[in-house]
Amino acid sequence: MKSSRSVSCSAPLKGDAMTDLDDFIGPSQECIKPVKVEKRAGSGVAKIRIEDDGSYFQINQDGGTRRLEKAKVSLNDCLACSGCITSAETVLITQQSHEELKKVLDANKMAAPSQQRLVVVSVSPQSRASLAARFQLNPTDTARKLTSFFKKIGVHFVFDTAFSRHFSLLESQREFVRRFRGQADCRQALPLLASACPGWICYAEKTHGSFILPHISTARSPQQVMGSLVKDFFAQQQHLTPDKIYHVTVMPCYDKKLEASRPDFFNQEHQTRDVDCVLTTGEVFRLLEEEGVSLPDLEPAPLDSLCSGASAEEPSSHRGGGSGGYLEHVFRHAARELFGIHVAEVTYKPLRNKDFQEVTLEKEGQVLLHFAMAYGFRNIQNLVQRLKRGRCPYHYVEVMACPSGCLNGGGQLQAPDRPSRELLQHVERLYGMVRAEAPEDAPGVRELYTHWLQGTDSECAGRLLHTQYHAVEKASTGLGIRW
Amino acid sequence: MKDSLVLLGRVPAHPDSRCWFLAWNPAGTLLASCGGDRRIRIWGTEGDSWICKSVLSEGHQRTVRKVAWSPCGNYLASASFDATTCIWKKNQDDFECVTTLEGHENEVKSVAWAPSGNLLATCSRDKSVWVWEVDEEDEYECVSVLNSHTQDVKHVVWHPSQELLASASYDDTVKLYREEEDDWVCCATLEGHESTVWSLAFDPSGQRLASCSDDRTVRIWRQYLPGNEQGEVHYLSCRGGMQRLLTQWKCICTLSGFHSRTIYDIACLTGALATACGDDAIRVFQEDPNSDPQQPTFSLTAHLHQAHSQDVNCVAWNPKEPGLLASCSDDGEVAFWKYQRPEGL
Repeated sequence: MKSSRSVSCSAPLKGDAMTDLDDFIGPSQECIKPVKVEKRAGSGVAKIRIEDDGSYFQINQDGGTRRLEKAKVSLNDCLACSGCITSAETVLITQQSHEELKKVLDANKMAAPSQQRLVVVSVSPQSRASLAARFQLNPTDTARKLTSFFKKIGVHFVFDTAFSRHFSLLESQREFVRRFRGQADCRQALPLLASACPGWICYAEKTHGSFILPHISTARSPQQVMGSLVKDFFAQQQHLTPDKIYHVTVMPCYDKKLEASRPDFFNQEHQTRDVDCVLTTGEVFRLLEEEGVSLPDLEPAPLDSLCSGASAEEPSSHRGGGSGGYLEHVFRHAARELFGIHVAEVTYKPLRNKDFQEVTLEKEGQVLLHFAMAYGFRNIQNLVQRLKRGRCPYHYVEVMACPSGCLNGGGQLQAPDRPSRELLQHVERLYGMVRAEAPEDAPGVRELYTHWLQGTDSECAGRLLHTQYHAVEKASTGLGIRW
Repeated sequence: MKDSLVLLGRVPAHPDSRCWFLAWNPAGTLLASCGGDRRIRIWGTEGDSWICKSVLSEGHQRTVRKVAWSPCGNYLASASFDATTCIWKKNQDDFECVTTLEGHENEVKSVAWAPSGNLLATCSRDKSVWVWEVDEEDEYECVSVLNSHTQDVKHVVWHPSQELLASASYDDTVKLYREEEDDWVCCATLEGHESTVWSLAFDPSGQRLASCSDDRTVRIWRQYLPGNEQGEVHYLSCRGGMQRLLTQWKCICTLSGFHSRTIYDIACLTGALATACGDDAIRVFQEDPNSDPQQPTFSLTAHLHQAHSQDVNCVAWNPKEPGLLASCSDDGEVAFWKYQRPEGL
């Protein structure tokens, strides 16, 4: 998905796109988003008059006038539509930035205690690894110094999305086993496709709609599980309503900003988003620069934890690569649950390129499980086309929009003085240094299922740990053709 | 000069519509045409006339913009504004659509087969160039999606013998692509045109690339390999200061002042090139026999005004019969011409 995604070439957004807006077309010019207007029957043909101040008035046949609403395009409408060339999206996304965080922190300083918001930052392991590489620190020191930095500027709590990822992985594992067992009853049960990557989700919703969506896992991504954890569980613990918390996440890509602004992750009751602002790794770097802070020079602070009692000494992670380890966890769990087979090491077999690899579980010559990972647009294309033709041999596919996965996301730090491949390998090494934990055994997870969610298959768990997808109608741009 | 290009015949290939493009099959016996009527027609000779041997009509929902024959001559690919590319298999006079390639977000502008016959390239208004691979079972898979251009990509063409791909764009540049490790990368950008580059053609030897543009010029580019005698040396500076010796393409000739409108297409023979122009004319240029190969000069040897009654969209030299040229136009017609090399050249 190009990278500069999401619409014009269906690619994940890259940092470079932000600085080069030569092809910027004002949303008004090519926008085909219809504005919803109250329609009254009758009236026939109307004339429109433009006032000197630029406002529009409709003149009815009887001479009466009615001021017309300005067409407003929300961030999500714009991002989800294929109607115009996409730089407009890029502009809208820049509005969710570190400037926004600074504004909130400044407002907090001036506000009366009852008006202040509790500021929580959740850092992804991938962003942390990228910063570690840049500052030549190990992951633990990076985590602690980042905590120190954020608290210095007024943030109250700093969490690690590796914790919320336990839930994403557990839900994915369970969902797969359920669907595998229910294959006979449902033709669309398999393959099951991973759902953590918003670049992939947006592409699937826009391009393949109702055909592909039933195959996508409903498990929320770690970012959005953290949204639930912070705005529901943690808010209750802190005796605050969710709108009193300002939740920021630090992510390796721009598409996570799109994910955070999905209506499905907006809490209607309290009129607040589960994740208020997403900063890319690059934006955090800029924030450090603007605050004049040298991360390595900071005193490390103790790490915060969402589960009381367990104050972690060091961050934890998951096995199975830098994009969360979905394939690996679902595979090993399925092998155990469905076939009673314990898989120690998962062996990957590269196919046509390094971003497309498969894994099989065989017993006595029979293939029991056939999984794959497909990263990058060209591999996603092939996967989807095969699915369309009914020729997809896989039970589960870990789909990620970025070649080489999340560690290579469009919001990660670049190093002008290093070949990008070498930098990526360094980031991968740092990421892999963090101790891996099995989600089933992670402290605090089981307790949260019991006390917060009231059980593993409860209505609560369904509501807070799962989501849904919406096919986007393709807009026809018959009038906008340029040969 | 008029005598050097003689009309052999016309056919109303796409009546009440535009004829967008033509392609001769490798044997030179058939001509495929495509147009705004969403159809592809296959033309062959019967005695002295050209007759329509097949009509491929159920393939596309919108204009068919380009067609291309596979090197073996058994397949025809068609690129359409309906965002798909069809692959047709020839079975004597019948063509069957065996696959439809999807993936581009909007109008596909061009399609081209690599000389090996295993790779196909497509390009689109979505600014991307796609490389596809075909296996023994006629299954096509996307091998790479290249997003180097910043605007609509108008044309793609393969080098006659190397696995080197060239693309032309509304962003005024020509780009070249090569396979590197497990992906395709843009290895050169040719800048110089001042407006949309509409078409490209390699000369039969593959040493030169000709481009034509909305800026009313034709440019000839030459490839300089590392260690060439001309001492042309070019580096690519990557992140990390690593430098790589690159083959570089240099513009060795610009033909300007000859065309009064946009040049929509160009076709190359050894030492000669034909152009299709928005002023309804066809022109042929011949390389001057004594000009320096590093700085060639060309003379206009044929200028046929009103070759068609509207814009000429395509010109194509027959690969087997020297001097046989086909052209097509917005007027829906296909014309056949005989080019006589003028005396003394």
